[in-house]
Amino acid sequence: MKKTLYFFSSGELLRKDNTLCFEGENGRRYVPVEDVSDIMVFSEVNINKKLLEFLSQKEIILHYFNYYGYYMGTFYPREHLNSGYVILKQAEHYLDEHKRLDIARRFVDGAAQNIGKVLKYYHSRGKNVAEELVGIETLQQSIGASTAISELMAFEGNIREKYYKSFDAILGNEDFCFEERTRRPPKNNLNTLISFGNSLMYTLCLSEIYKTHLDPRIGYLHATNFRRFSLNLDVAEIFKPIMIDRIIFTLIGRKMLGKKDFEHGTEGIMMKEKAKKIFIQELDSKLNATIKHRDIGRPVSYRRLIRLELYKLEKHVMGESLYEPFVAQW
Amino acid sequence: MFVILVYDVNQKRVGKVLKKCRQYLTWVQNSVLEGEISDANYTKLKMELARIIDREEDSVITYNLRTTKYSTREIMGVERGQTGNMI
Repeated sequence: MKKTLYFFSSGELLRKDNTLCFEGENGRRYVPVEDVSDIMVFSEVNINKKLLEFLSQKEIILHYFNYYGYYMGTFYPREHLNSGYVILKQAEHYLDEHKRLDIARRFVDGAAQNIGKVLKYYHSRGKNVAEELVGIETLQQSIGASTAISELMAFEGNIREKYYKSFDAILGNEDFCFEERTRRPPKNNLNTLISFGNSLMYTLCLSEIYKTHLDPRIGYLHATNFRRFSLNLDVAEIFKPIMIDRIIFTLIGRKMLGKKDFEHGTEGIMMKEKAKKIFIQELDSKLNATIKHRDIGRPVSYRRLIRLELYKLEKHVMGESLYEPFVAQW
Repeated sequence: MFVILVYDVNQKRVGKVLKKCRQYLTWVQNSVLEGEISDANYTKLKMELARIIDREEDSVITYNLRTTKYSTREIMGVERGQTGNMI
């Protein structure tokens, strides 16, 4: 499977000899272009049109993050997998309120189930999260009865609120108290980690959408509006609990990240570069980890699971089979 | 699979071989490249190399490992080319 490239060194990214070449202060380094799936840039990297043309030819998507680790934008190359039919069906399932609500419900239900899986896992390891678990399971019953997107989002918000309350019990670390969900900018270390992890998940989902016929601008739970991309936010809901949140619990639990890994500035709290690298290393190896897939019957990586999720969605909008969100089986 | 590729090619063609290999694998040392590669890309690379080299004169060897779990990699002296996807 092709890899994601992560740039933390500053320099120039070039097309040379029909492959990628990075020129930094440590010298020149060639990267095999046939092995690259997407690129994430966290440092100062210069590019030019020749490179963008090459990335477009090779179907490589390029994401930018700013100094603080916030997502800034994406070079989304020319579509190679075009299907007017799928886009038409996507739009149909958005414009029909009933159809849209159906898909949105499935996203929220899938996310709730995965949240439940995470909490059950830590509950079985002696963490005091029983109250939140019961509360979430109660709220989950109401998802099917929602009659409007706004009502559904309210339930989703309530589920998240109860879920985040359990973070302090799971972590048991004074340097990483949750308090309340804050963003733009996050007000404490844990919120910073959550924001960083979530933006990585959004971009990963976007990268996988680019490799399907789906249009990333048409989302169902997150409204299609003047925002650039919505569908990746929907799909990320499924994977955030079982990937990003698990990584956060692991890194803090194993003391791989601590208070000293964060910097406090006027614009809020940000992760130091070393901390970002540690997080991404953990995420990258998680993406490559495989699970036995029940339907397929062979090992499937988490990155591939994201793609399969999108294929299921394609089938749903084309009326071939109903979308059933992925739920982790631990 | 994981591949280690070693070549000994006439000077007339060595540049072409290097440029082609660098599109698929990571350069680690003079005449040595390595990296993860899919079956499809591996076949493609072999076909492209077959067109470049002179079978009477040149030599290309690949070591194909299904997994790197049971092996280690050691370096003495200078590490010329870096691997990995964090740059």
